Formats: sequence, structure tokens, C-alpha cells
Amino acid sequence: MTMDTPNHIPDIPQEKFKFVQLDQEIVDSAFETEPIGYFKDALIRLRKNKASVVAFYIILVISSLAIFGQDFNPYTFRQQNPERTNMPPRVPGLEKLGIMDGTTILRNRRLDSVKDPNQFPEGSVIRVFNQRTVRGVEMVDVKVDYYKLVGAEDEYYWLGTDYLGRDLWTRLCRGTRVSLIIALVSVVTNIFIGIVYGAIAGYYGGKTDMYMMRVCEIINAFPQIVVVTMFILFFGTGMFSIIMALVIRGWIPTARLIRAQFLRFKNREYVLAARTLGVGDLAIIFRHILPNSIGPIITRAMITIPGAIFSESFLAFVGLGLKAPEPSIGILLSQGQKVLLQHPYQAFAPSLMISVLMIAFNLFANGLRDAFDPTLRGQE
Amino acid sequence: MCITLFIILTIAFMVVRLMPGSVYDNPEYSIEIIQALEAKAQLDKPWIIQYFHFLKGALRGDWGVSVKIAPCVPVFDVIKQRIPITILLNIISLVISLPIGILAGTVAAMNRSRMPDHIISFLVVIFISVPSFVFATLMQYFLAFKAGWFPIVYSATAAGTAKYRSMMLPMLALSFGPIATVTRYLRGELIENLSSEYMLLARTKGLTKYQAAFRHAFRNSCVPLANIIIPMFTGILGGSLVVERIFAIPGVGGLMVESVSTSDHFLTVAVLLFYSVISLFTILLVDISYGIIDPRIRLGGNE
Repeated sequence: MTMDTPNHIPDIPQEKFKFVQLDQEIVDSAFETEPIGYFKDALIRLRKNKASVVAFYIILVISSLAIFGQDFNPYTFRQQNPERTNMPPRVPGLEKLGIMDGTTILRNRRLDSVKDPNQFPEGSVIRVFNQRTVRGVEMVDVKVDYYKLVGAEDEYYWLGTDYLGRDLWTRLCRGTRVSLIIALVSVVTNIFIGIVYGAIAGYYGGKTDMYMMRVCEIINAFPQIVVVTMFILFFGTGMFSIIMALVIRGWIPTARLIRAQFLRFKNREYVLAARTLGVGDLAIIFRHILPNSIGPIITRAMITIPGAIFSESFLAFVGLGLKAPEPSIGILLSQGQKVLLQHPYQAFAPSLMISVLMIAFNLFANGLRDAFDPTLRGQE
Repeated sequence: MCITLFIILTIAFMVVRLMPGSVYDNPEYSIEIIQALEAKAQLDKPWIIQYFHFLKGALRGDWGVSVKIAPCVPVFDVIKQRIPITILLNIISLVISLPIGILAGTVAAMNRSRMPDHIISFLVVIFISVPSFVFATLMQYFLAFKAGWFPIVYSATAAGTAKYRSMMLPMLALSFGPIATVTRYLRGELIENLSSEYMLLARTKGLTKYQAAFRHAFRNSCVPLANIIIPMFTGILGGSLVVERIFAIPGVGGLMVESVSTSDHFLTVAVLLFYSVISLFTILLVDISYGIIDPRIRLGGNE
């Protein structure tokens, strides 16, 4: 009988053993997936968010319109044409569908003048309706092909012209460019000042922090409208003073954000390690702590852009916009609003542009925020 | 608050005094008349004397007289006529936007990630993005001009319901933004509270989902709402500047636009001061209300 205890080792001869992996190269198996860094991670999440992808492409299209759009047709943004004022929109191709075909309705015309071929050339009158007699005179509303009426069958003003005969498409593209430049420059300046201010306050802390934050609070107590209006009253209207007016109060939220980030990170071990190795304050601030905040900074910038566009249009409405002939979305909008009831198309195009632009920037900013900080998803 | 007001006053004074050109640049006036007018307003003295004169006048409630819009009428009287309609407009839009926003936010949060939530969130993005003056323009054209449901501009002479009917569109235009802000904020807060542990406790006690939500989560979510009322109210004020102009409402906003464009600087300063006082007052009010709404934030330091 054999004893099969755990201690029992069967007697196996030496030559039966052999090395399995003697000739085999032993390595760690390579990861099949790509390494994913911070930005790549964010990019993947951003791509999954369909709304922000769409918004991104809309922003791209509008930006390229702003850059190249005014070269699409032969008109310039300041070229006036007294014979082509207030032309309704007319687009080749679309005119066959019955929209933007250069027709408009003229109200309260005398019936005999409508029948006079000198005033209304052959074929320009499309429909006569709403015939009535006012104090013995036959009055009608008449739908006309305005381009035939003024003898401009071969011309196309895609979005019509304004009261000085300037092409609105060119002006809208130019205006979008101006508004975007104002928004971008003011936001970049805001972010820059905010980063420096917030970094100093957050990093040094203590009394420095307290005084700097008090200053912030005092500036913040001034109402935005008041500050911006006074600033522009003082420095005059112009692109630079509008940008500066937007910067005066605009950097404070960024400064607060950066300060909070610095308060969070400045006591981490890696900062201590860097300091022990003799790294200077500046290097710690900009090379070691600041890169942690890059996500929130980008998000913040994106969120601020629609606000800047809004403020610019607001100023234009108040009459503190850019000087003529330079257009901006706000100026076009306020000019169109004045003639809203007679020539509604002059207000619709800039309204649409500013709305789409603001919605796109907001959606894109939301997507960026979710991408950089998934814990915030679904909250605001 | 008083310091801020003082600084605003000083800056306003500087802006007006250092502006190039004279306030009285009417081409019909001869140089002698302009000089006489400037002497009367003490504009020919050094600026430091002007400044003290201005401060003294400000303390006595004498803000100078309007030059262009309502010649020789004290600016304070000009503003006084216009304040009620502006305040009424702003307060009403705030008052109608709060309950609607709270309702929409609650519906969105209770149906999270379902159809109502998606629809409301989509609308919120649109309402937050599109400026109030664009809404005003579009509504004025489609609802008032095309459909004819409302008067196109505000009618100051109308009384009773007709007056409020002509105020409907501006109020609506001003409310969309705040409604969206409240909705978004409340939805975020509610979602956070609904997934917290005390909600689980409330459900284990036997409360239904809605009971628990309204008795516990909803109350806690409303506290931080006071936070956003300041920027919201100043936002409405800013929007009302333009909306008042669009609908020809004789309010302070329109007055500011006019005074800026006709360079009636005394009036501009007074209007700016009005806005400062309003927004400072709102900040103060909200600071005080923190203590009332949330007992944890009572001042006094008796920890």
C-alpha cells in the first residue's frame, strides 16, 4: 500500500524535468489600446456629444463665412447705391421656389399709378389685392417683383440691401467678423488677466489674497451696464474701447475660477516636491499648477464668448456701437429693427445669425464642460 | 455700498467733465449764450471746484437740469416720471418668470433623461442663448404685426386691460431669459438633491416619490436660487434698456438710450446712478435674504 500524504514526494528522476521557456523571450505583453491622455479623453467624450459636434461645425461654417463670405459677391460692405435702396432678398435658384425671389408688397398705392407703365413697368406687378376706396381714390396693395420695378433683373442681392443701398449679405458677413473679433479679443484678454490675477491671489494666499479679492468684489459691485456705458462715453466708440469695456469687469469670473483651482492644488505633494528641488514661484505657478486648470479655462472662455457677442449687440442697440460704415451684428440688427414693419428681412438675417451663433457657442461650451469634467454632467 | 455709490458718482462726474466738447453744443446758440450757460452750471471753474459743487448738489438732490431731451427740467424729475413703468415691467417679468421657471425645472428634474427633460433642456438652451431684443423683434413682427394679437408698440394713453395688453410682448421678451436661467439652475440643484442619501431615507420612511421630492429635495433646492436672482435681475434691467426702445415704452431704459445718443450728459449720469442704486439694492436685499432663507448663513459669528 502506498502512503499518499502531502509530505510524500514521489521519486521523479532528474532527467524528466526540462526548462519550458529556456528559448522563449519573456516580455510584458504590449497594450493593444492606445494610451489616452487628458485631452484625448476629453476629445472622445466631446465627440460622443452630438449636439456639441453639430455646434462645432456650425461655428466653423459661420467663422468661414465671416472670413470669406464678403468675397462671394461683387459688392463691398460700404459701397452705397442710391438707386438700389431697400431691395428685398433675391437668391438665384431659391427664387424659383417662391422664397427670396425679390418680391415685396407695396401697401397703399393708387390704383391708377399701378396701371401706369411708367411707374410700374410691364411684368413687375404680380398681384393686386385689397382694393378699396379712400376719400374717392381707388387704393390697392400690390405685390411686385421689385427687381423688375427698379430695372435690376440681372442683379442679385442675396439678403437685400439697406436704406443706403448697401448689400446686406456682405455687411452681415463683415459684421459677423467684427463681432467675432470683438468677442474673441475681449475673451482672450479677460482670460489672460484672470489667469495672472487669480494665480497670484490663489498661490500667495493670506493677506495678498484677501486684498486682491476685495478689489474684485468692489469692481464686481458696479453694474455692468453702467461701467460699459461710462467707459464708452469716455473713450468714444470704436472697436478698441468696446473690447476694453468688455474686459473691465469680464476678467473677474476667470480670476475667481483660477484662484479656486490654485487653492486646490497648491498644497499637493508634487508642488512641495518641486519647491524642495528649488523651483521658483513663477515656474511652479505656470508649469506645475496652471496646466491642471486648462480644461476649466477653455470651458470658461467658450462660455464667455456668447456673453461678449451679446454685450456688443446691446451696445450697438443703445447707440454706442461701432462708427459707421463698419457693421457689426448688433448694428445691423438695430438698423433692421427700425424698419422692421416695412422691410422685415433687414432684421431677420442678423437676428438669425446672432441666435444661431449664440446657441452654437452655448452648446459647444456645454459639451466642452462635460468633456473636461464628466462629474458635472447633467448639472449646470 | 455707500462707498461703491460714491465711487460711481465720482467716475460719472469725471466722465462727464472730461468729455471733449461742451454739453451745450446747440448750433443755434452763440458763444456768449454757451458761456453764460456754462457759467450758470459752473462749468467754467476748475474741475475740483466743479466736483465739490457736483457732490453738494448730489447730496441736496440737485442733479442739474436736462439739456436736450426735456430742456431746463431737473433731471431727477425727468427720471421720476419714467421710473414706475420700468420698475413695473421688470418686476412683473421677474415675477412671472420665477414660477414658470421653477415649474419647468421641477418637471425636467423629475423626468430626468426622458422626453419632457429633453424638450425642456432644448428650449432652455434656445432661451438662454437668444438675446431678449431678438425675441422682442421677432414677436413684434409675427405676433403683433402679422397676427395682430397685440398692439405693436406700448400705448401710454390706454388704460386698464389695454395697457397691460400692450405691455404683454415686452414682458414676454424679457421673461424668456430668466425663465431659462431658473429652469436650468433648479434642474441641476434638484437632480443633485434627488440622488442624495436623505432622499433614500425619506423613501424608506414610506413617502412616495413625489412626497419625498417636494417635502425634502425641493425645499433644499430653492435655497441657492437666491444666488441667481441678482444677476438675473440686472440682466433683465439690461435687456429692458433695449426692449423698452423697441416697443417705445417711455421708461428709464429708453431715456438712457436717448440721453446717450443726444449727449445729454447730466441726464446720462443720473440714469446711470439710478441703475447703480437698483443693482446695489438688489445685492443688499439678496445678502439679507440669505440669513432669512438659510439659517446656516446667519451673520453674527456665534459658532
